[in-house]
Order: sequence, then structure tokens, then C-alpha cells
Amino acid sequence: MHIPDGYLDLPIAGIFYVLSLAVLGYSIYKLKDEKLTPLFGIVAAAIFAAQMLNWPIPGGTSAHFVGGALAGILLGPYAGSLAMAVVLTIQCLVFADGGITALGANVWNMAIVNVFVGYYAYRALEKFGKSAASFVAGWIGITIAAIFAGIEIGLSTSFGYGLSVTVPVMGLWHGMLGIVEGTITAGVVSYIASSRPDVLEEKVTPGKAAIAVIAAMIIVSPLFAYAAELVGYSEPLENAAEMLGLTENPIYEGLLPDYTVPGIDPYAGTLIAGVVGTVIALALGYLMARYARTT
Amino acid sequence: MHELLERTIKEASDYFQNFLIHEYSKKSILHKIDGRIKLISTVVFVILAVSTFNLNKVIMVLLFLFVISAITGLSLKKIFERIWLFTLFSYIVVLPLSIYNPLYGITFTLRVAASLIAIQILIMTTSFAEICSALRSFKIPKTFVSALWIAYRYAILMFRELFAILLARESRRVAKGSHMDVWRKGGEAVGLFFLRSFERAEKVQLAIEARGGNVVEYRGKIKKLDLIYSTIVIFTAFWWVII
Repeated sequence: MHIPDGYLDLPIAGIFYVLSLAVLGYSIYKLKDEKLTPLFGIVAAAIFAAQMLNWPIPGGTSAHFVGGALAGILLGPYAGSLAMAVVLTIQCLVFADGGITALGANVWNMAIVNVFVGYYAYRALEKFGKSAASFVAGWIGITIAAIFAGIEIGLSTSFGYGLSVTVPVMGLWHGMLGIVEGTITAGVVSYIASSRPDVLEEKVTPGKAAIAVIAAMIIVSPLFAYAAELVGYSEPLENAAEMLGLTENPIYEGLLPDYTVPGIDPYAGTLIAGVVGTVIALALGYLMARYARTT
Repeated sequence: MHELLERTIKEASDYFQNFLIHEYSKKSILHKIDGRIKLISTVVFVILAVSTFNLNKVIMVLLFLFVISAITGLSLKKIFERIWLFTLFSYIVVLPLSIYNPLYGITFTLRVAASLIAIQILIMTTSFAEICSALRSFKIPKTFVSALWIAYRYAILMFRELFAILLARESRRVAKGSHMDVWRKGGEAVGLFFLRSFERAEKVQLAIEARGGNVVEYRGKIKKLDLIYSTIVIFTAFWWVII
């Protein structure tokens, strides 16, 4: 399910970086008073090791365990998503498993959607038995995460197949593999429930407002991706003006009109304009910081 | 459960071979370049590769990456060995579309290849400690970077612990089970493994506190060689823009 570089359009990849950083940043903020760094690290290493298990499935083939729902059930959604994000970052930067530009989308799918959906599915169904609840959590977490991955690559024009191909392929395939994920999650949770039930007690969870925002972000994220694809790199206002047939009539063109240098190739001009703008912004920031220090 | 063990051993031996040799043993000039510069350069190269479908630009990025690798002393053969499989997979994925539009298939595959090479150059020349330090200097929260470093350092140890649990259970097994039994019993073994990981986390927490608390710190200044490499990357980006 790890999306590599080149499969996602950059605006879509960017949107998922923003969404993932927002949720992970909030998770770190919520857990800042708890000394959990070694727990994230060691449980991430444990998930990493458990992902290496090659579970035989009928027909001679095999499947891997992802562990997102389990991380949520064992650590809670905040710490679980951070532990999964650690695993995915190592896989990206050590094994080139998943792309650098696609890391935001991979974290969103496997560390946020999978963990949050898995955790809340487990909590909602816990009254029917821990084993059944954890099976459903494992299965639904990975299946929905795969559907999100399908939506992201299906919306990207870089990848030649549309949503009608990518979503069913990812969803159906992982829906079947999810049975293994669910069964292993159920086995792990049942064992822990019988030997250390305290581990499964309620964890630090988002308040009602926070969970509403995160749930809305998860539900709306495909629309954000769709909007990012539509807007691309151009300005939405410029698109609107073009649709309405409005023409530009500036009072003052500026020193670098439309981020270009008059008389120079537009691409090179944009690059120079970008460098000039960055230098001015950095200089102003530096002066403000100095002023703030002296007053 | 023997099937689970056999398959896992085979998979793990490949995986850990990668894990242990990912830091390319042959030293190159790129090894001396600051981790921060290499990390940013990798992101720049990947963005240059994946933000266009102009074949000339994609080939240009590929050529620059090959030339940088060759000049700085990295083995092109090693790089090829590490990227060919996924590059081929990407081509096979878009093969049905390539029948009608061969240029799309080639460009798509080369974009993937270029980004894989960029990441491999980073992986082969940068230790994970340097990457963590670089992330820390980019103000990535300490909790996250420290967890990354701990997870990396404990990955092999944790796998050994998991493997010991599976092996012990296998040696006590008296009957061959169905797939369902393997998943259930395996799940129980993994449950025990996670409980042990919690216990280890407590020990690591105490050890970190005993040593003073800091897991990852950044040390190092930008050198002349870093500036030269940065100039090469900026030149590549500039050339990419104007062609």
C-alpha cells in the first residue's frame, strides 16, 4: 500500500502532507506531558518486526500484517498514529519503501485513517466482545486505508488509471487481505486481554471537538485532493476571472510583474523572482527578529 | 506454524540484508556532505523528476543523477541493482496504457526511476543518525525524531525477540494446524511479543532518563564541499527550468 514517488500529482501529495502534519502535530501536542518517546520508538520497532512476518494464506501465497488498527488499540489513536508514522518514515528513508513526496499520503492512509478508523471501530464494537471488535477494526482499518490510497492515485493525472480502476482494485484486494489483518489483530488483542487487560484500558483520546475535526478531515480529504487537482498550480481567482471573461488592467505592474523579469525567459524569470522574494522575506524576518530582541 | 516461520525467515534474511548494508560501505565524496544538504537535495531531485511529463526534463534529471553518482564514486551497478525491480514493476503497471501511448509509459517509468535513484543516493551515502540529526535541525519535533532513532536502533533486536517467541512455540507444537490455527496461534505469539515490547520500552525510558534525556542532537557546520554540492543542485534545478 506504500505509494511511491511519481504516482501522485504534487498538489495532491502536498495536501496530504498538510493534513498529516496537522493531525500528527496535534497528537504530539496532546501527548507532550507524557514521557512516551521510548514507547513510540520500541512499539514502532515491534510493528516493524511484526510487519516482516509472512503469513501463509490458502493458495500458496502470503500476506503481511500492517498493524495500524492494532497500534491504535494498544496505544490509543494519538500515540498509535505517531508510532505508525515512525514506521513509515523509516521505511521511506532507509528502504525506499514509499516515496518522499508521497510520504504525507502514506502517513495519512496507514498512520491516520487506518489507526483512527481501527481504534474507533474497536471501541464501538467492544461490547460485542474484544475478539470480534478487534477483527472488525483490523479489517475495516486496512480496507478503508487502501480505498483512500486508491482515491489518491486515481485522482492524480500522473497515474493513467482513473478512480473506477484504482478504488475497486485497492479496496477489493485489501478487503480480502484485511481478513488476515483482522484475524491477527484479534489474536493479539485476545491474548493481551487475557494476560494484561490493563494494556487495553481507554487511552488518551481526542475530545469531542477534536475527533469531530479529525473525522471531518478524513471524510473531506478526498474532496481536498480533488480540489487540489482541479486548481493545480494556478490561482483559483485567475481561473474564476477566465471563466467570467474578465481581463487584467493593472494600475502598477510592479518590479517583477507576474513573478517574471521583463525581457528574460518566463521560467528563468520566475526562478529569479522567487529567489529575490525569498531573500527579501528572510531579510525582513531577520530585521524583525533583531528588533524584537532589542525591545 | 512452520510455514509462517520458513516464509518469514526467507523474507527477513533479504530484508535485514538490506537493513544492514543500506549504508553503502564504499566511501564516496557524497558521504562527506552534510546530511541536511543531502536531504534537501533529494527532495529537490524527486520534485524535479515527478513534477513534469516532459521527457527531456525527466531524462535531464536522470542524467544529472547518474553523473553525480559516477563522479562522486558511487557504483552505478549497485544503484541499478537497488532500483530495477520497482522500476520494472511501475512499467508493468502502466503497460496496458503504454500500448496506446508508449511515450506515457516510458516517461512515467523514468520519473519513478529518477526519484528512486535520488532516494538511493541519499540512503547509500547517509547514516540514519545523520538523517535524524538533519530532521532535528529542520525543527521536526524532538519526540518524533527521537522515536525514529530508537525504532531504527531496536528494529533488529525486536525482530530477534519475535523470532525467539515463534521458534519456542513451534518447538512445542505437536500437531499441524490449519491456516486459521496458524493465524490464531501466530496472533497470540505476536500478542506476547507486544507485551514484551512495552516492558522493554519502560527499561529504555529509565535508561534514557539515567543518561540525561537527549536522544538526538545536531552537530556540524556547513562546509565548502556542502556549498559546492548545493550549487550543483541549484544548477540542475535552473537547467531543468530553462530547457
